[in-house]
Amino acid sequence: MAMAEPFVTRQQSQFRGPSAKHHLPVSLQTRLREGNRPAWYAGSLLAVLTGLAVFGPALAPHSPLVPAGAAFTPPGHAGFLLGSDSIGRDELSRVLYGIQTSWFSALAVIASGVLLGGLIGLVAGATGGWVDEVLMRFTDAFLALPGPVLAIAVVAALGPSLFHTLIAVGIVWWPFYARIVRGEVRSLAARPHLEAARLSGASRWSIMTRHLLPGALPAIVVTASLDVGNLILALAGLSFLGLGAPAPAPELGAMAARNLSYLLQSWWVPIMPALAIFLLAFASNIAGDFLRDSLRNT
Amino acid sequence: MIMARAMTRHRQPEPLAVLPEYPGGPLSGLATTRGKHPHAPVITDIPASPAPPRPAERVAAVEDLHVTFRRNGRDVQALRGVSLEIAQGEILGLVGESGSGKSVLGLTLLGLHPARTTTIDGKLEVCNQSLVAATPEDWRRLRKTHMGAVFQDPMTSLNPTTRLGRQVSEVAGSSAEAIRLLNAVGIPDAERRLSSYPHELSGGLRQRVMLAMAIAGPPRLIIADEPTTALDVTVQAQILQLLRRLRDDLGMAMLFITHDLGVASQVADRIAVLYGGRLMEIGPAGEILEGPAHPYTDGLLRSRLTLTTGRDRPIASLAGEPPDPTQPPSGCPFSLRCAFVWDRCRDEMPAPTVKPQDTTGSHMVACWRTDDLASSGQELAGKWPAAPSAPGLAVLANNVTKAFTVRKGFRTQKLHALRGVSLEIAPGEVVALVGESGSGKSTLLRAMAGLLTIDSGSIEFGMPGHAQMVFQDAGASLTPWLSVSTLLKERLTRADLSSNERADRVRASLATVGLPAEVASAKPRELSGGQRQRVALARAIAMPPPMLLCDEPTSALDVSLAASILNLIGRLRRELSMAVLFVTHDLAVARMVADRVAVMYLGRIVEIGPVDDVVGNPRHPYTRALLASVPDPGAKLTTARGEPASPLDPPDGCAFEPRCERSGDDCCLCDPTLDLVRPSHTGPARLARKVACLHPIAGVPRIPGGLPTDRHEGDD
Repeated sequence: MAMAEPFVTRQQSQFRGPSAKHHLPVSLQTRLREGNRPAWYAGSLLAVLTGLAVFGPALAPHSPLVPAGAAFTPPGHAGFLLGSDSIGRDELSRVLYGIQTSWFSALAVIASGVLLGGLIGLVAGATGGWVDEVLMRFTDAFLALPGPVLAIAVVAALGPSLFHTLIAVGIVWWPFYARIVRGEVRSLAARPHLEAARLSGASRWSIMTRHLLPGALPAIVVTASLDVGNLILALAGLSFLGLGAPAPAPELGAMAARNLSYLLQSWWVPIMPALAIFLLAFASNIAGDFLRDSLRNT
Repeated sequence: MIMARAMTRHRQPEPLAVLPEYPGGPLSGLATTRGKHPHAPVITDIPASPAPPRPAERVAAVEDLHVTFRRNGRDVQALRGVSLEIAQGEILGLVGESGSGKSVLGLTLLGLHPARTTTIDGKLEVCNQSLVAATPEDWRRLRKTHMGAVFQDPMTSLNPTTRLGRQVSEVAGSSAEAIRLLNAVGIPDAERRLSSYPHELSGGLRQRVMLAMAIAGPPRLIIADEPTTALDVTVQAQILQLLRRLRDDLGMAMLFITHDLGVASQVADRIAVLYGGRLMEIGPAGEILEGPAHPYTDGLLRSRLTLTTGRDRPIASLAGEPPDPTQPPSGCPFSLRCAFVWDRCRDEMPAPTVKPQDTTGSHMVACWRTDDLASSGQELAGKWPAAPSAPGLAVLANNVTKAFTVRKGFRTQKLHALRGVSLEIAPGEVVALVGESGSGKSTLLRAMAGLLTIDSGSIEFGMPGHAQMVFQDAGASLTPWLSVSTLLKERLTRADLSSNERADRVRASLATVGLPAEVASAKPRELSGGQRQRVALARAIAMPPPMLLCDEPTSALDVSLAASILNLIGRLRRELSMAVLFVTHDLAVARMVADRVAVMYLGRIVEIGPVDDVVGNPRHPYTRALLASVPDPGAKLTTARGEPASPLDPPDGCAFEPRCERSGDDCCLCDPTLDLVRPSHTGPARLARKVACLHPIAGVPRIPGGLPTDRHEGDD
């Protein structure tokens, strides 16, 4: 290429001389050697949770629905590692099945929220003007819907099943993501790197996906990870109203809520599923923090 | 001089009759304890002549000071054995590039480092109090009674939610004292200002408020950390004069931290040069500036631009970058960049010793080879080749106006950023736009880039392709999560190239701007400030644009880096025949890069012409005021009074009239147009010298030294 060639030999040495000494900062080299540690932590934590959810039923010693012994057996007795419930079903098996239901339900709602809300927020934030105005008022309308009432309406229309409940929750959940993404994108859009990208000829699509969306990711990840706990509890509330998984099915929130009355006589019946919820929420928060750190580092 | 006049005028309501209460005279006038005395003392007018530093006791001293931070699991060795003293009534200028440890020294003297992550070794003494093992309470009491501080950004140092009156009175002790202090630092209408919030003041006035709070007491030592860096040159000159005057009046010592030797030369009695956490050179300001004994000081002085630097060749820039403070070299920290380096320099760290030729013993230098520096001559870079020129126009802006709508409470107001600007630039020509902040220079640049729509007028480009822009903050202009090669390839998406050709193009443009190919895989965050600006330039030229728009690309960089970026722009525009519009607030920079310069004031061009002609022989009083504010070593600063008029409400007549020393009765009535200075001008019309002034300056002698003109002789 012509422009790379020197035009005056004397000056070439002056210009190229210093550049030969330009080294990348040491921090970069060490960071690459060490790998991206937060991302690694986050990934393995999420893998463990998902693995537990996938293989949990296979590990379960008993059926979650059929009684396997005496009712209210304390943990560690008669082969019940976590005790048995009010009709003698194995708590451990029910919790393992429940983790599967709760974890995948939460992930499904969050994923749909991030996809739908993220898309709407991104388009609104990146475009601005009347598009922004219309999309955000549309979002506000959904924010105004009362969640449980909508769930009852959906279930009444489509029949009771966990899937229908998830649809109802998904409908009220995405507007939060739309608002967060839009806010992040608006603040990013005012920064010089956006103007620079526009000047260098980036297409509208590439500006949205490459120059704006990655900047909003940390906020999305943190919100999503905090939402796991909220969602499991929200689903528990709905199952308590009879809107979630039908009664005998093991679902962590429902197990904790319905058995709360046994707390004083047989504490393990409500506590074990509650502990599982706590662990799921805690682990996803930690994973979210790691994920955010790793995104910030890039 | 103008400054002094302005000061006297502002301070007339002050009750000078209070003076006799303080028989100690003006120099001891403020020597009361802070905040206790209801009848606070008066700072009197002192003749502007600098008081000689009293051979007095020392106010602060550090000896073999080491400061180390723990950051991200690594030890950052910010200071590695620094010894210096500050005498009473002395201004010590502390100069160094970013990362040299100069601010760390300032914060150490204030005791403001977080104790948990900082290790301080050595001797540290302020006001005869040894402070290495001081408790936070000791520090607090010391700061309260004996110290003051001024930092770069007054907006972050002032509480945005509290009225100034309360903030200043809190330090001053009473609101009467607060008013007196505000008067002393030259704030007009101080009583009314007490009820203002910080955001209602201009940057210059905010910095004056900070100063007023710093001198309450008064303190014995003031730490001023880059107090003028964020200000316009004209305001900077005002503040520098104010600092000297306050020192002369109050007799306190000051540590003045700056990256700019020119600024230091304007205020400091002595200058200390810091590099890589070590003291390189310290001595009387005049001696350091005239006879630098350390190659680093010498390099700093040479890469600094003045109004007389030869502009026909690249600037002598210091190669390389400062050492990594987590892995400092065992020898002289400058050995990595030094042209005089010996084996001994790499192995052994030189200690500051008295400069051989110095008889007074006050000029110390830490260098093994200072003798050789003295005997070496300056090696000049080869001259620039003539810039290519082509017929036609790169851009033609005609009577461009732009107003922004600003909301103030329930009212909306028009901010007139551009009030009719016409400018033409030929292919391959460099035009500099110069002016204070708020003059509209960046708005014009962004309008040309197509980043904002103009209200009326037209901007036409004469050549195919889109203009590219280089921003002031290169880091912010690069998308942080994308790699350099992704950013560069984006420029090539419109070009019909295979992916191999694209990769080649990326490598070639990185090489053109002097970056190694490995940078392609790096993220912007992993690069230094200079490297980022090079990447921004590489992106602009990956597809050579017909025109490059530069928005103060060097004002955030250290002097030596700025010089190398200016050289790079000078080379690129010649190689690629780009037209360049270069926005800067610094006339010395404009003079180096540009063929022509346009001086803007409040949304208009007030003077335009070939750069040597305008700089050597300014016709507009505003241009002259700008030139006089450039803090060159050895030059005497004179300042324009006041600050720019508000673009919310431009005056009817000449916008510069309220600040102008030549204004006549007609100036406030008639808005001058941009007229030819001499109608007999021959040559292309765009090269004509024009000025918008009813009473232009004539017959000002040119700057001695004979400025070289390469392409076009001016109309003189």
